[in-house]
Amino acid sequence: MIVVQVIAILALAPLVQGAMKRVRANLQGRPGPGLFQRYRDLRKLLGKEALLPDVVSPLTVAAPGVVLGVAVTFAAVLPIAPVAFANPVDIVALVLLLAAGRFVTTLAALDTRSSFAGMAASREMTFGALVEPTLLLSLLGAAGAGGTQLGALAHTPFGLPGALALAAFFVVILAETARVPIDNQETHYELTMIHEGLLLEFSGWQLAAMEFASDIRQLAFLILAVALLPAPSPAFHLLWLPVVMAAIVGVETLFAKMRLFEVPQLLLTGFILSIAGIGLRIFGGHLL
Amino acid sequence: MILRLLGVGTTLAVAVVAAYLAVLAFALGPGMDCTFLVLSAPAPMLDILVGLDGFAAPFLALLALLSAVVALWNVQRGRPADSVLIAAFTAAMLLVLTARSVACFFLAWEAMSLISTFLIAAHHERRYVRRATFTYLAVAQSGALCILAALVLLAVQTGSPEFGTIAQRAAQLPLGLRTVVFGLALVGFGSKAGLMPLHFWLPRAHPVAPAGASALLSGAMLKVALFGLAITALQLAAPAPAGWGIALIAIGMLTALGGILYAVVDRDLKRLLAYSSVENVGIIVAALGVAIVGHALENPLVANLALTAALFAICNHAIFKALLFLCAGTIAESEGTSELERLGGLRRSLRWTTPLFFIGCASIAGVPAFNGFVSEWLLFRSLIALLAAGDDAVTWVAIAAIAALALTAGLAAACFVKVFGVAFLGAPRHSRPRPPEEFGPATAGVAILAALCVAVGLAPEVVAAPLALTARNAFGDSLAFARLLTSLPPLPITLALLPLLGGALSLALAARRADRRVPAWTCGSPVTPASQYTATAFSKPLRTIFAFVLLPGRSRRIETGGSTWFPSKIVYRTSNRYLIDEFARTLAGVTLVLARRSRAVQSGSLRLYLAYALAALVLAVAVAR
Repeated sequence: MIVVQVIAILALAPLVQGAMKRVRANLQGRPGPGLFQRYRDLRKLLGKEALLPDVVSPLTVAAPGVVLGVAVTFAAVLPIAPVAFANPVDIVALVLLLAAGRFVTTLAALDTRSSFAGMAASREMTFGALVEPTLLLSLLGAAGAGGTQLGALAHTPFGLPGALALAAFFVVILAETARVPIDNQETHYELTMIHEGLLLEFSGWQLAAMEFASDIRQLAFLILAVALLPAPSPAFHLLWLPVVMAAIVGVETLFAKMRLFEVPQLLLTGFILSIAGIGLRIFGGHLL
Repeated sequence: MILRLLGVGTTLAVAVVAAYLAVLAFALGPGMDCTFLVLSAPAPMLDILVGLDGFAAPFLALLALLSAVVALWNVQRGRPADSVLIAAFTAAMLLVLTARSVACFFLAWEAMSLISTFLIAAHHERRYVRRATFTYLAVAQSGALCILAALVLLAVQTGSPEFGTIAQRAAQLPLGLRTVVFGLALVGFGSKAGLMPLHFWLPRAHPVAPAGASALLSGAMLKVALFGLAITALQLAAPAPAGWGIALIAIGMLTALGGILYAVVDRDLKRLLAYSSVENVGIIVAALGVAIVGHALENPLVANLALTAALFAICNHAIFKALLFLCAGTIAESEGTSELERLGGLRRSLRWTTPLFFIGCASIAGVPAFNGFVSEWLLFRSLIALLAAGDDAVTWVAIAAIAALALTAGLAAACFVKVFGVAFLGAPRHSRPRPPEEFGPATAGVAILAALCVAVGLAPEVVAAPLALTARNAFGDSLAFARLLTSLPPLPITLALLPLLGGALSLALAARRADRRVPAWTCGSPVTPASQYTATAFSKPLRTIFAFVLLPGRSRRIETGGSTWFPSKIVYRTSNRYLIDEFARTLAGVTLVLARRSRAVQSGSLRLYLAYALAALVLAVAVAR
């Protein structure tokens, strides 16, 4: 089952990315690329020659594979398919795994010597550190007190604590998947980009691996978000997927990118929401 | 030569003895201790007793490991005289860990403090080294007085100087008295371990010592201080109420956050490592606090889990911080500086140190498959278990601690991405070619530590099992904990398997395809070493966001020369203010002024001194009546 889950996520990840891009373009009055453009882009990149900066270390050469491996592991541990064995990967381990992926990506960026990549690495680590408490607390708040299993996410009753945890997690998604108002996937203006800046020096199959990994990560985050929403049975959670995608695209259309040093305020808001969520989850019984 | 042989030989002997004692101590069951009278003093209160206690086992094992590695280091590096001092230093630490009476512990502690002072003063020809030594000595001696007061209070109140007896009788002492003892111990041991706000000596003193000594100071001596704090709270002044634990969690988390914030903006590699030690000590103390709270709430799961996490973090920090400090020594030797802005592209000249240092960075950043990940996971799990422990106030403390720990972990990752990225990756910031690094005994010693980082990271149960046993001896059995531990072994490999496989495939594919290498693209301008991102630039966003703690200041001077439009030179300076250090400096200044004033009573006249003696005698008789 878990293999089916991984294959499905891998196969659909570029489609989800394409769909969000298309809807966003339509909302902004542009025709936008076709739904399957992302697949064509990846195929094109695979056919191209890969160029790397002349001084890079083996770490950077290995980075695309490592990052893809992290993304696939993320997809594999999501609580969709019923698993036959006890999943050792809990919420804490997942958060630390994602941090490890960031560790490798940013080191690879610094290795290329490009100042733009260095700038992106600096910002990625900064916001990554600021987002980490929110990510952990929102997931813990959604899972309920003492529960750390990812599987618990889909079974906990929703209610106000769940809504707060979801709102906090939404901020995390915006940051982790490089969305407006924190980052902008569409921009190639060097001074503003974070995620794109990290990938600036990659090309060919290495860029394809990096881009594919970020598609998978994005879909995995979306699936975690729908797991937080209420549903009659675990499988029905996935029906929320279009809603969450639309919400993200809506935010991207309605809001402009924030100035860099205003982003911490947004992240702080998410953090406070996550604290409120977990507090209410634990004390819900005798506070409400 | 003979001096070096003596130093290395003695250090190795200490390592062997410590390893042997560690094995014996691990074999001791709960409540068992063996104590030997070494020296019977005229007053029984001053008896010198040594012995073994199960709790000392992990610390002895660490001391054995680090002594052996530093002995290997000293075969090749460092001055011969330093290697002898290091041998004495390790012996003193061994004595602290095996001391079982008040007098013995205090004498060993003082020996450890004084010998480490000589190590810190190794390069005393420089003024800042002398200042650091003086600061260290002042803090160490003030701390030692607090420790002495705490131990003497316990000995007098229980009527025995022996640790075993004190631990048995401590429960009958009033809570107020025990809290005073705990507070004194917290100040005394905390100042030695680098707990904020008494940490200010540490980032000055640790970096100026020779590399081998820095590794022992950060890797072993901080752990000995934590050992003292732990046995005071868990044995000598036990049972610990939840309040102590909450105090430790609060102080520990603030120390961790403060330490890593100062580390992430620091520009000197060694000082950065020292601040990161402050952070790690904070995390360990917080874990100890969680264990105490768990025990006080009669929750054996939390208590066992948190103490195992604390001991695991102690082991991990000893291993990777010693590794990083030794590598920093290699860097300083080869480059002549440890300033990050002058380093760059070290991987080309330091071909052995680079992978070793990377392993250290990945471990400290908590990357799965390296050892730092395991203790971080255990500590998070203990805090999450504490959430459900039932006490309202404790739950909020746990939530705050989870948030603080997650932020600390994120900042630590940023910090070590900065260190490795700026110093080792990219291209050198100078054009002087360096001779390629050679593999020697010193490198072998560091490689042992790196191998342990990976081995413990991949097979955590090897270390977790004995540590869990030590925790169980302290807190009793917990079925839930035993069950939780079974989910630990498959965790690192589950997380790391696909990334490692992907990385290997990526490398293989790149090697087969032989893709072209081209200069990096920076909008058409040539890529010079100066255009690489610097450590200051990397930490700039964090410096801005946490300006309310770091209080950064900057000045910019633009020299335009003859032209109105084109500046000939821009000088940009940035600095942080260290409020606690400023406060300490003020305090030191006031103390010195008072000391100078009190010189008035020292006239040098014999008759006056006799009058003092008489006055003291009269006073003593009056008080005694």
